[in-house]
Amino acid sequence: MGTPIKDVVIPSTAPKSLMLQKHADYIASYGEKKDDYEYVMTEFLRMNGMYWGLTGMALAGQRDRMDRSEVICFVKSCQHECGGFSCSIGHDPHLLSTLSAVQILTLYDALDAVDTEAIVKWVKSLQQPDGSFYGDRWGEVDTRFSFCAVACLTLLHRLEELDIEKAVEFVVSCMNFDGAFGCRPGSESHSGQVYCCVGMLSVTGHLHHINADQLGWWLCERQLASGGLNGRPEKLPDVCYSWWVLASLKIIDRLHWVDKIEIVVVVVVVVVVVVVVVFVVVVVAAVVVATVA
Amino acid sequence: MHGRLKVKSTAEQQEAKRKEREKKLKLYNAATTKIFSKKTNGELDEELLYLCGEVLSANPDFYTLWNYRKEVFLELRESKSTTELQNLFLSELFFLESCLKMNPKSYGTWHHRCFVLDTMPQPDWTRELELCNQFLKYDERNFHCWDYRRFIVKRAKVSPEAELEFSMSKISNNFSNYSSWHYRSKLLPLIHPDPTQPMGVSEEAMLKEYELVQNGFFTDPDDQSNWFYHRWLMGR
Repeated sequence: MGTPIKDVVIPSTAPKSLMLQKHADYIASYGEKKDDYEYVMTEFLRMNGMYWGLTGMALAGQRDRMDRSEVICFVKSCQHECGGFSCSIGHDPHLLSTLSAVQILTLYDALDAVDTEAIVKWVKSLQQPDGSFYGDRWGEVDTRFSFCAVACLTLLHRLEELDIEKAVEFVVSCMNFDGAFGCRPGSESHSGQVYCCVGMLSVTGHLHHINADQLGWWLCERQLASGGLNGRPEKLPDVCYSWWVLASLKIIDRLHWVDKIEIVVVVVVVVVVVVVVVFVVVVVAAVVVATVA
Repeated sequence: MHGRLKVKSTAEQQEAKRKEREKKLKLYNAATTKIFSKKTNGELDEELLYLCGEVLSANPDFYTLWNYRKEVFLELRESKSTTELQNLFLSELFFLESCLKMNPKSYGTWHHRCFVLDTMPQPDWTRELELCNQFLKYDERNFHCWDYRRFIVKRAKVSPEAELEFSMSKISNNFSNYSSWHYRSKLLPLIHPDPTQPMGVSEEAMLKEYELVQNGFFTDPDDQSNWFYHRWLMGR
């Protein structure tokens, strides 16, 4: 009994080029319908979504379509007394939304609109004796939060406030037999966690802990026949992993390993075609010679 | 949202869906408004628990409401007897289980369960291990559940040998074994440590492991996980 390879089939009618303008238009108008069901249901990630949307618009060169002052006002209203930011107004503060808030304000060069000292204090307070970070006062530990803390303070130019050695020690303790990383020590490797750990080690100048060849190979194995990438072995592809995986490969300087596969395929195809053509020419020539003789 | 397929529906179906969602949203918004208002007034009571429960059943990723539940329990801990608390927490575990059945991959739900186990007067670790067994039967690759299992194992001081046996039973019964092999890679250095070996595991144990993974190759040559694990055994 064989295991079917989990993958998607991309229909022939699927678009073959990036419809950038349509994407920009979608983002620009997203959030206008405040009573849309999905919109309300995803309030718990509003700050994150705003960061992704604004970054998308910036990459598309259309950041000015967004209302800068409205965004900054929203972000400001999400800062709590403790210094952390919530995902949306009235929700509790969390490291995930705090990073997104700081990223948004950095994008707009508006960090002075909030109490950055309080952010530093709060993020620092979440670090534990083993180097790990709580996501908030309730104590969940995850390497995602290690990345958030380190990225946050780096953007605020205050990274030295953290115990970097301990933070690195914790992240390294989350490395697995396959060279990849999980949420906590003992957790299974996952592309999202890999991005967070690789990003964290990169930002703190500790990439030497990673076996780039080993991890690079594991990351390349995320790619399936459809071209999509998955989060871990035997899982379906999801476009979010195209980002987590390729970004990680770029950071460890192995992005060309993915491109190389394409190049190798092209080279192989060309060589085969040439061989076949030569063979046909030789056979035809032999037949002609035999006929004439 | 992850894993949602685009489904073509008629204008009629879309309209029906829109109406249903509008209704749901009205209730949802009414509940959340009431919740935020009670919280602002410091009303950490059983009505708040009830309202949060309604919303969390529909949206377990609304992390702030799990926080509110924790606050209520910590408040109640000041006034309730041990027996009353134990019963409250047992109800909470029942509620959590129903949430997990609907969405077994919500970080907030699993973490809240950890909070309950760490806060209740008499945690039943055996029962929790059995819960893990159940959920790993539904989905052997659910890393939330595996992580929760590791939390229980640590608290209850379950032996690594027992866990090694469990992982073997999963491998014998399933085809998607990456999570189980991964677990073994963490247990072996505890059971057969050898600091002189590159993987930290005795050569004898590694050879036994190699035999096991070879069985895997023959049973299911297409299962990637055997090959990834094999690479580790070969020291690469």
